[in-house]
Amino acid sequence: MAPRTDSPYWNPRHETLPRPELEALQVSKLRRLVAFAKERSPFHRRRLAAIEPDSIRGLADLARIPFTTRDEWMDAQLAAPPYGEMLAAPEEVAVRYHMTSGTTGRTPIRVLDSTKDWEWIAEMWCYGFWGFGVRPRDRVFIAFGYATFIGFWGAHYACEKLGCLVLPGGAMTTEQRVRTIVDMGATVVCSTPTYALRMAQEARKLGLDLAAGPVERLILSGEPAGSIPATKGLIEEQWGAKAADTAGMTELGTIMIFECSEQPGGTHVIEDHYIEEVIDPESGEPVGYGELGERVVTSFGRGMIPVLRYRTRDLVVRVPGDRCPCGRTWDLYEGGIRGRVDDMKLVRGTNVYPRAVEAIVREYPEIDEFQIRLWTADGIRDEIEVLVELPGLDEEDGQAPRLLARLQGDLADGHEGLRFGVRRVEGGTLPRFELKAKRVLDERTVIGGAGERRAT
Amino acid sequence: MSELTKQEWWSPGESALIECYEDLRSVLEERGADLPPFARRNAIKALAALWQVANGLDAEPGPIDDVGA
Repeated sequence: MAPRTDSPYWNPRHETLPRPELEALQVSKLRRLVAFAKERSPFHRRRLAAIEPDSIRGLADLARIPFTTRDEWMDAQLAAPPYGEMLAAPEEVAVRYHMTSGTTGRTPIRVLDSTKDWEWIAEMWCYGFWGFGVRPRDRVFIAFGYATFIGFWGAHYACEKLGCLVLPGGAMTTEQRVRTIVDMGATVVCSTPTYALRMAQEARKLGLDLAAGPVERLILSGEPAGSIPATKGLIEEQWGAKAADTAGMTELGTIMIFECSEQPGGTHVIEDHYIEEVIDPESGEPVGYGELGERVVTSFGRGMIPVLRYRTRDLVVRVPGDRCPCGRTWDLYEGGIRGRVDDMKLVRGTNVYPRAVEAIVREYPEIDEFQIRLWTADGIRDEIEVLVELPGLDEEDGQAPRLLARLQGDLADGHEGLRFGVRRVEGGTLPRFELKAKRVLDERTVIGGAGERRAT
Repeated sequence: MSELTKQEWWSPGESALIECYEDLRSVLEERGADLPPFARRNAIKALAALWQVANGLDAEPGPIDDVGA
């Protein structure tokens, strides 16, 4: 019998569950998650001490569970390196380590996953790929560096699980990637939105017409621009293909939202594996459908690191799932991830916290003042540089160039290898602050029409 | 091993996969230590995949790190 590929859904039952049944499933999973986290993770045992799993009767009981913040996660790691008391399974069960930039300097958020966790990570991406119409017949090129940043690793395994032919695009120049896409007849391409435009630019330079080629779909992730209509429109035009937004987090290991093939102008929340709340970032109180708020995530999937009510600092607008004609009952984030509550900047898919940059810069007493500058290069690419004043150092004796090179290396090490520019400026030229310092100068432009939000 | 939650709406094919999951888990729990490396590690990988099926069918499969997955 031929395998069924006609379903538009990866898990037809879960994706179309009536709301009361979906919420009952979430409550049942939440009860088990709380019991598991209390039993296994010292970090959560302390936080959940007052909550008996059996007392969780409805989603309203979520409010009894304390929020988890990134700073608390970082503090736990710093107190008991390298993973803190987060782990809910023995370290020897882990098969992979990943990390994401931290908020406080060189220390990243470190995560471990087991064999079962990795199957689950891929499973989440499968919802997105299948929901956007990717099928076993497809040839999927993954434009990704395959390093410690978790990025598209899960996408790679998801495509293998789907039965697609995976074309891994690690350790390649942009020209090599574009040529491979064309030569191998890729039908699906995964990349950040910015890099999709970069590849299109390279193709034009090489005289290759991507729009006339076999690529039918792009799966975008790593930047909010995948849901900015003008940016997405530009990508679709240049590739002659449909583009879908997805978004994930290293803290979850995978994606939590995806855009289906109906392209409703938003991303479905994978509600059988997560509870997503939207709250007022100031008061912590829930906000209703259609209101901008901070997303808070509880994940049922990752076994080694339970995630309960994690404050993501992502801004979203939740709307009912029936806004989309696809038949899924899962709610949508209209316009995907809309921005950040905090000052985090997303640079070529990497999280950059200004306070983490400052912590590294401040390790150099020779630096008198500094500024972080972000701008858009070649009309499409995010760049970041740190401008520094070095009043006591001579240029000629080589001290200043050596310091700049060391600083550049330290900044990259603290940010998953992200390339920072480091430039010396004349003493006294950078602004000084008496009260709250504003050392970030974000001059990036959004690709697309006026009125679009910024790409951070 | 925790008892799985049976669902009345499972198709015969889905029920058969749940049985595979239960059997494989039992093998790893009871005889995993006796298996040669190739057999044990491949069984763990297969169990991790079948866990997704059990989970997606609301069987409440629970943690499986105790058998190495």
